[in-house]
Amino acid sequence: MDNAIKVKELTKFYGSLLAVDHVSFEVRGKEIFGLLGPNGAGKTTTIRMICGMLRPTGGTAVIAGFDVSQKPLEVKRRIGLVPDVSNLFGELSARVNLEFMGKLYGLDKKTRRERIDQVLELFQLKERQNDLVKYYSKGMHRRLTIAAALIHRPEILVMDEPTSGLDAQTARLVREIIINLNKEGRTILLTTHQIDEADRLAQRVGIIDRGSLIALNTPEKIKNRTEGMRALEIKILNGVDQQRWIPIIKEAEGVDKAFPAEGKIRILSKDLSQIIPTVVNLVDKHGGKIENISVAQPTLEDAFIHLTGKSIREEPMSKEGDVRRRLARSGLR
Amino acid sequence: MKPLTSLMHSVWIAENDLRQSFKSVRHVVWSLLFPIFMMFTFSFRYGTTGPDKDFINFLIPGIVGMTAMFGSINETMSIVWDKSLGVFDRILAAPVSSTSIIVGKTMAGAVMGVISALVLLIIGSMLFSVTFANISIVLLIILLASFSFTGIGTIISGLASEPREAMMLSNLLRFPMMFLGGVFFPVESMPMPLPYVSRALPLTYATEALRAIQTANTSIVFIDALVLLVYTVGTILLGSQILMRIMTR
Repeated sequence: MDNAIKVKELTKFYGSLLAVDHVSFEVRGKEIFGLLGPNGAGKTTTIRMICGMLRPTGGTAVIAGFDVSQKPLEVKRRIGLVPDVSNLFGELSARVNLEFMGKLYGLDKKTRRERIDQVLELFQLKERQNDLVKYYSKGMHRRLTIAAALIHRPEILVMDEPTSGLDAQTARLVREIIINLNKEGRTILLTTHQIDEADRLAQRVGIIDRGSLIALNTPEKIKNRTEGMRALEIKILNGVDQQRWIPIIKEAEGVDKAFPAEGKIRILSKDLSQIIPTVVNLVDKHGGKIENISVAQPTLEDAFIHLTGKSIREEPMSKEGDVRRRLARSGLR
Repeated sequence: MKPLTSLMHSVWIAENDLRQSFKSVRHVVWSLLFPIFMMFTFSFRYGTTGPDKDFINFLIPGIVGMTAMFGSINETMSIVWDKSLGVFDRILAAPVSSTSIIVGKTMAGAVMGVISALVLLIIGSMLFSVTFANISIVLLIILLASFSFTGIGTIISGLASEPREAMMLSNLLRFPMMFLGGVFFPVESMPMPLPYVSRALPLTYATEALRAIQTANTSIVFIDALVLLVYTVGTILLGSQILMRIMTR
């Protein structure tokens, strides 16, 4: 299997709202592919179309050789979907939840029992298997959601924001699980708005913004897309309000982008040797003192900013637009 | 997909729905408490013995029909809850046809209607010694009525965008239906033009048929059963259309 997922010109309109705009990419067999983008960029809509839960307005998605528009059931049989919110039946126990999923995926009774025991063991849920899921912690919910997606041993695992909303420890555990599942030979398509997650997990990354795919490559190569751009980080003494300095620094010659990054100001430029003295002088002229200055490796975030002109952490659109989009997606208009 | 597999999918979806409804005992008790309460209130108000025996004979079939309505419509509301909790996505992502999903949800609604109605039927007949001429026809009417109420429920849950809206819509239908469906007062005694409204409601035919079974009035039972069947087919077809549109957006 060369390409597990082949998406071509995939487009989705919700009424007049363009959520996904002619997106094309391929996920190779046995790789981890990350769709990276801010909230509301169209990631979830894209994967819902791939999983056959939403009909594309245009374009095609071929999964394991089956066109999702023509053979949705064949596609669904080969995909395990882990949604962004745990959507298990809260009034039922973990075991009954898994039992139900096993039935829907056509597993016979004996296989069901074996697989359920296996995943409960693997995700350390065996002791609580008969408790109602509504009493589970967030981390247990997430583990059970992944377990439920694995019950039919899918070739392809699609995960929507697998670690969002989890504490650091659980997020790390989930990342380990993802890496192990990939080592076992499973193709994984995941979405994330966390740059370091895409960088750490994905072998290839597609950056999606406002419904369009704007970059597609390995994280390394995308970072190099900053086209000779280098990064500089400065911290200004007494500059509690680093924000105030950004417009000033942006004015300096040779500065391509300047934006706040964890209490510091990150500057992107093609020519560091030229801008270092310029920036130092500029800060001095405005009565500031530089506490710390360092040259940094370009990150995926730099590439994102370079490509879109904005930070991935910023809300990409008005709250209202985001809410509208989310409602449209969930089918609640 | 093989028809048997599709049917099994429906059965499992229905089973899963009902399992959740019966899992919380409280939920079941609460939903039955209302018709039981209504039954006792009206029987105390009008008496149950002597010449008043007629009233209780009138009341119990009405209550049974009403209970089927509440049970079925309540159960189909699970579609709206499932949608809002995201669990509907779980079924949508599984290799199950849209038809199986709709059939499963419909089965769950009908089963809930029948079970709730039977509980009230048993309580009512035991406490007030109300008898029916033919119990299998009673079951048939309850089943038909439950299916038609389920159809109404699927229409509501297809139209409603969130649970609260569904609750309001269903109450908007259930309460007028309860008072105009001939549960507590005979349709004939209603002032004009209410009898016409009554004749448009499936509950009216359900209660009328159940009463006609008591007096073994076969022609009325037959006509009412036919009307309920038409209602069932109509509402389920319309409900499925609406749900299908949601599922295949």
